[in-house]
Amino acid sequence: MYISTKQILKILYILSWIIFIGVCVEAGGIIFNAFFALVINPANARYFWSGADLSALYAWDKGYFFVETLMMSIVAVMRSIMFYLIVKILYDKKLNISQPFNKETGRFIFNISYLALAIGVFSGWGAKYVQWFVRQGVKMPDIQSLRLDGADVWLFMGIILFVIAQIFKRGIEIQTENELTV
Amino acid sequence: MPIVVNLDVMMARRKMSLNELSEKVGLTLSNLSILKTGKAKAIRFSTLEAICKVLDCQPADILEYREEK
Repeated sequence: MYISTKQILKILYILSWIIFIGVCVEAGGIIFNAFFALVINPANARYFWSGADLSALYAWDKGYFFVETLMMSIVAVMRSIMFYLIVKILYDKKLNISQPFNKETGRFIFNISYLALAIGVFSGWGAKYVQWFVRQGVKMPDIQSLRLDGADVWLFMGIILFVIAQIFKRGIEIQTENELTV
Repeated sequence: MPIVVNLDVMMARRKMSLNELSEKVGLTLSNLSILKTGKAKAIRFSTLEAICKVLDCQPADILEYREEK
């Protein structure tokens, strides 16, 4: 069975919406949990998002707890923004297959690459922090439950996308030149 | 760009409209308009040949080099 590009884009659109809603819920959950633990009820640190127990960190230092949850929030929010951009470009139908090298798509790839790099940096930073806390003798949950894993993968993706974006930039120039050749 | 397209001058000399030229050359109106307004980045030899044939002129009558100040 032949699957057309249009069908693939439609499937991607539906998947992106599902993932976008998921990452938004996660970002909201992490921010709310952090706010609730810091401002309203410190006992909430034990039952953090996705079952992570951050009570030891909270008891050790409230400031470090704030920094760690801030890292988690930044990563979660940036992931939401990334999927928002994906949903947006698919919704606006800016991906024109007959003339794919347009400015919007070029800007989209650049933005996604910057976001992936930033997610990689903040995830790595957060994960290093967790390692440092463990060395200080603070009992910490694993970085997977803190949603800070895969920093290297994000960085790799960001660099690859950045290279693709540079090639895409040249593609836009060639297409514009081609369009203006009579 | 220092290359100036004098298509409108030649068209006026031959008393030919853009629509007529478009029909005779086989180019779309939008492409001819790009050429006429100087927005074009390149011109194919085949296009130049067709225009010269229809307007009965030389490429130098259409294209001119003018140094930028």
